[in-house]
Amino acid sequence: MAIVNLENVTYKYPLTDSPALQNINLRVDEGEFVAVVGPNGAGKSTLCYTIAGFVPHFFKGELTGTVEVAGAESSTSSLHEWVLNVGLAFQNPFNQISGAKYTVFEEIAFGLENIGVPRDEMKVRVEEAMKLTGISDLADRSPYSLSGGQQQRVALTSILVMQPKVLVLDEPTSQMDPIGTREVFGVIRTMAERGMTVVMAEHKVEWIANFADRVVALHEGRILLDGKPREVLTSDILLDKGFGISRYTSVARKAKTRGLWTRQQLPVTLEEAAEGFQDV
Amino acid sequence: MSLNRSFFVPLDSPLHRLNPLTKLTFVFAMILPAFLSLPAFAPGMAIPVLIAVFVGGVQRQYRGLLFKLILPTILFMFFMQSVFLPIGETVIFQLGRFDVTLEAMQTAFLTVSRIFVMVSSFAILLLTTHPGELMSDLTRRGLPPQFAYVIISTLQILPQMQAKAQTIISAQRSRGLDTESTFLKRVGAVVPLVGPLVFGSLVEVEERAIAIEARGFTSTRPKTSLHNVPDTNADKIIRWIFLALVILSLGGRIWLS
Amino acid sequence: MEVISQNAVYFAVVLVIMALLFVWAYLTGRMQKEFSTMTWVLIPVAIAINLTIGQIVLVLKLPVYLDSIGTVLVGVICGPWAGALTGALSNIIAGIILAPDWFPWFPVAAVIGATAGVMANIGYFKTWWKVVVTGFVIAIMATIVGTPISIIIFGGISASGSSLITAFLLETGRSLLASVLTTNFISEPLDKIATSLLAFAIIDGLSTRYLSRFPRGENATVEKGQKQTELIIALVVVVLLILFGVYILPSITGG
Ligand SMILES: Nc1ncnc2c1ncn2[C@@H]1O[C@H](COP(=O)(O)OP(=O)(O)OP(=O)(O)O)[C@@H](O)[C@H]1O
Ligand SMILES: [Mg+2]
Repeated sequence: MAIVNLENVTYKYPLTDSPALQNINLRVDEGEFVAVVGPNGAGKSTLCYTIAGFVPHFFKGELTGTVEVAGAESSTSSLHEWVLNVGLAFQNPFNQISGAKYTVFEEIAFGLENIGVPRDEMKVRVEEAMKLTGISDLADRSPYSLSGGQQQRVALTSILVMQPKVLVLDEPTSQMDPIGTREVFGVIRTMAERGMTVVMAEHKVEWIANFADRVVALHEGRILLDGKPREVLTSDILLDKGFGISRYTSVARKAKTRGLWTRQQLPVTLEEAAEGFQDV
Repeated sequence: MSLNRSFFVPLDSPLHRLNPLTKLTFVFAMILPAFLSLPAFAPGMAIPVLIAVFVGGVQRQYRGLLFKLILPTILFMFFMQSVFLPIGETVIFQLGRFDVTLEAMQTAFLTVSRIFVMVSSFAILLLTTHPGELMSDLTRRGLPPQFAYVIISTLQILPQMQAKAQTIISAQRSRGLDTESTFLKRVGAVVPLVGPLVFGSLVEVEERAIAIEARGFTSTRPKTSLHNVPDTNADKIIRWIFLALVILSLGGRIWLS
Repeated sequence: MEVISQNAVYFAVVLVIMALLFVWAYLTGRMQKEFSTMTWVLIPVAIAINLTIGQIVLVLKLPVYLDSIGTVLVGVICGPWAGALTGALSNIIAGIILAPDWFPWFPVAAVIGATAGVMANIGYFKTWWKVVVTGFVIAIMATIVGTPISIIIFGGISASGSSLITAFLLETGRSLLASVLTTNFISEPLDKIATSLLAFAIIDGLSTRYLSRFPRGENATVEKGQKQTELIIALVVVVLLILFGVYILPSITGG
């Protein structure tokens, strides 16, 4: 069952001439983990905002085609109802702190207060969500006093606690150091394992190869490829279009021309590369 | 003039246990008579205000505010008004070409008493009430939740921005730019530093708006609150008493005049 | 307080007009339109800008306050009601936590934001000379609202530096009202024009894309043409005004 369904979606930001998304057709099944890759300006963020309802409700502009999530249509829904189904987290963890709360616990409860969840249920849900993302020990800290990785986990928890049907993540680790990146991907892995439907724009291809069920490659607002992670991430097409590519893939591709890589499938991660080179 | 932490002092005093609205009523029960009733009320209200400081157990923090914030302001104002108000016949002494009269000093005393009562009673409210608690109680009583957002957000953003500004100012000071050089140099040195501060804080607005909308900020459902702020019968009685006192003091004023 | 009873009619009229405006704006939905999420998020930032720049200016000992740049900004790109709220909250919050003598001036701050918003709505925030006009109108409105407050709460002499001018004028035998009004007419335009021009410079530095997110972003679109030149002229005007304040004002007032 497709929970997210985009049909012939074309979108232009206000005051711009060329569309940021063109003729996008994308179906995501319940429980599927779809990664979106693409060079700068390809439209990854725009696609995320579209699924999350901010395009067109927040950004205005012209949208044609249909965007459906969990049976509802974006153009006929209001944003504040839409966000109950789709959660969104993005790059900058600092800017995702609401500013309206003094402790992490209150920060995570903020969304539940807004949508009118009763107090007792609220406390239970916040505690469970914090346990799930491993930030229970931060409950009484100020969100402003945390590291980037911790702040991003608080942002993710703040969304997860609202129990959305689909989670949209726009490069959640792009401003993290390696430790922060590992922390945040840890949370995302937990989500994936629990069967959450996730759409994630991301350029760290090695992580994608480990997580994603499917990879969509965007280029200049169009879907270029859509398929199994290893097929898409090692495709020759990505090479000349300026996509970020795993260095292991590049090395193996060179090696293959000299017969030093014998497998059919090029590697994405270090482990795959290591195994493949052992064959030789 | 800088604010580096929130005022709230976490203690368990009778004042801390009162409902925020009760304390807000107290604030207005002090300010209104001081400003609108007989002149004697202005210094008179200082007595209940100071008693409240002790009931709340916040003497030390209040003393800090008194010396850093309140006294400098009111002493300066007292001086300005005594010297420059052009009223009164009873000249006490002269300062340059200005007469300092008894009447001007009386008026000045009245003004600073009022300001003292106003600032001190607000200070007591803030020293004994967590801003989050104050706001969630007022929201529950019908204040639009966006107001709570604006106030708390300001209280958190302001110290952050001030801290950055403080760095800029200290840097200027250490180079002697604040006093010695011409004002053009002073301005010229500060603009390139303040610009990024301002633009940086403005650029964040868009993403923060998206983030809070993603968390139901514009939801039309009735909101709930994480914290239960108790409101006892004692609170209600105290509020009625304050209200009665305000009415009495204002009524007395009208009746006497 | 005698002033209040003597001028009861004046205050009653002002309050009734404000109440009518409020009801009208509310019922027609004009007010609600100004308060998008972007506006609610911008207001705290604008207040912080007001107070922080105000503080820096104080330290630099400039002859202006520049403590309502954020208020004018919100008034222009969100609307008059949002500007008024920003101004009022700015002074109330500062009055409670930073500088007690700010508190009573919150109606003045509200009028500054509202006036900036109204002027921007009729297109007077698009070129530097229109911004100067707006600054001047803001100064007049601030004077009209500020004079009664100055007299009622402070007897004409407050803790601000411009009270020295009032004192001087009083000394020359002018009436209290005349002295306070004159003081405000001397000191307000300088500050409000400089404030408006600086808000204009900030708006000029923000992208159209960003500005268009706000309810009245189009009010701020700098008219095409010599954007660069205009900005430079605006900055020169600010500098001239400040020079005027530093060197000319003291000699006029004999201080
Ligand atoms: N708010 C906006 N208004 C107008 N145009 C925009 C806006 N945001 C993005 N664009 C344009 O839309 C196109 C797609 O941008 P988008 O941010 O979706 O790309 P992206 O793939 O997320 O890039 P990045 O890797 O830099 O995050 C770009 O050409 C960009 O300039
Ligand atoms: Mg992006």
